[in-house]
Amino acid sequence: MTGFKKKLLNDQFVFTVELTPPRGSDTVTMIQKIEELKDLVDAVNFTDNPSAKMRMCSMAACKISLEKGLEPVLQMTCRDRNRIAIQSDLLGAHALGIRNLLLMTGDHPFLGDHKEAKPVYDIDSSLLIRLVNNLNKGIDINGNRLNGKTSFFYGAVVNPNAEPIQPQLKRFEQKIRMGAKFFYTQMIFEIEKLERVVEYAEKFKVKIVAGIVIIKTKRMLKYLSSKVPGVTVPHWLTDKIEKLDDKDVQKFGFDFATSAIYKIMDRKLSHGIHIMAISVTEEVGKLLNFLKTGI
Amino acid sequence: MIITRQKDFGEIKKHIRQYRSFFLIGCAECATLCGTGDEKAIQSLKNWLESQSKTVTGWMIAKAGCQIFGTKREISHYKDLMEKSQCILVLSCGAGTQTITELFEEKPVIPVNDTLFIGNMRRFREFEERCRACGDCLLAITGICVVTLCPKQMLNGPCGGYKGECCEVNSDRKCAWVVAYRILEKRGVVDKFYKKISGPKNWLKANSPRRYSARERIDRI
Repeated sequence: MTGFKKKLLNDQFVFTVELTPPRGSDTVTMIQKIEELKDLVDAVNFTDNPSAKMRMCSMAACKISLEKGLEPVLQMTCRDRNRIAIQSDLLGAHALGIRNLLLMTGDHPFLGDHKEAKPVYDIDSSLLIRLVNNLNKGIDINGNRLNGKTSFFYGAVVNPNAEPIQPQLKRFEQKIRMGAKFFYTQMIFEIEKLERVVEYAEKFKVKIVAGIVIIKTKRMLKYLSSKVPGVTVPHWLTDKIEKLDDKDVQKFGFDFATSAIYKIMDRKLSHGIHIMAISVTEEVGKLLNFLKTGI
Repeated sequence: MIITRQKDFGEIKKHIRQYRSFFLIGCAECATLCGTGDEKAIQSLKNWLESQSKTVTGWMIAKAGCQIFGTKREISHYKDLMEKSQCILVLSCGAGTQTITELFEEKPVIPVNDTLFIGNMRRFREFEERCRACGDCLLAITGICVVTLCPKQMLNGPCGGYKGECCEVNSDRKCAWVVAYRILEKRGVVDKFYKKISGPKNWLKANSPRRYSARERIDRI
């Protein structure tokens, strides 16, 4: 059993962070970040061509991370692979020792850097969850027996910002029924948004890891709000940050993230925190060290 | 209906540079409703060709350009005028254009229109895609075609990308699954829908090229 799985299943609070694999063959910076994060977090999630922008594959990044001693979570989307490729890649990932999966549908190519690419979406994330459930039983998506079972620990995503929320909650429930063991949330700016998911999740035995972003600049906030699907930045926050001097935004962002994490932990709203720092590891280090001294 | 849009004259020009005389064929079905295969579209193309010092030997509008034998019968009346032309320009969808190719393999047959999608007309000459001809209709479940209207072809509910009811891919459009949810709600079947899971979709039914014979009642894929 992986440390990440063990901790989540034993209701121990987890801290994870997101890293985006490099845009090119140079892995030096990524390895440096892995080294920096190694003793700070329980696992690192390697994104799968996030926002449909082409990067090195998550599987290779996960393998590198494993070798460096930091537990990886492989993100797998349905955007670029049909059911054959997904199963094939997952069996390959398993052979390489990767055990944690975060399964999602994936942002549309239209939003990325290869807009003309053909979107695949042969299956959706609920079916992907069932597919992994099948692999763990030693059968493929069609129910055919395979040589060997996988032992993936797999989760899915839920977006507490979605409006209207009801269709999102129903889908959340459907993903639980398909076998998702844990859920990562989209980045949250308002705790009330997370609460409505947590409230709904009460009847299910499922672990929730809340997504928190460290705002660094006004530009970053604008980008998140306008370019990232499913991210909703409340007007009061945009207004507040807009009024700040540029040099004060970073401090505000840090304090805002810290206070959100404290609130979530105090009110036991999640089983972990996932820090989306857009790969800025020094901020993550600063935040986690700060939290650990405070806890 | 099949929605078509006339190509830019610039693009048509590239394909007809070497020819001087033309015969034009429109279509009285979808292309007429789209304004891309009716008499007005033919006249406008004719005027443009003549402005380019080209000659139009004649024109006709097929009742249904996609009906191969019917169109063959209709164009037989224009045989002489067609023979006088060096090139045939077809103002229909891609299916109609290929009827003419099949009947005139020796003469260049050039499409005037781009074929866009199967859709509905909301207001005069305003079209929306509604069907992808996937061969496996799911409308009985959701009421609207999520395979067409959801850019990710989600079969089991929305993704996490919609914002304020709008689709992540096009914020001018409502998320198909938010719309579908309302329909399911009005029909009182939300819980029933989410209890089950649809798919994986059988794309075998959409493998091109497809053939179907209602005479034999056999799918010949």
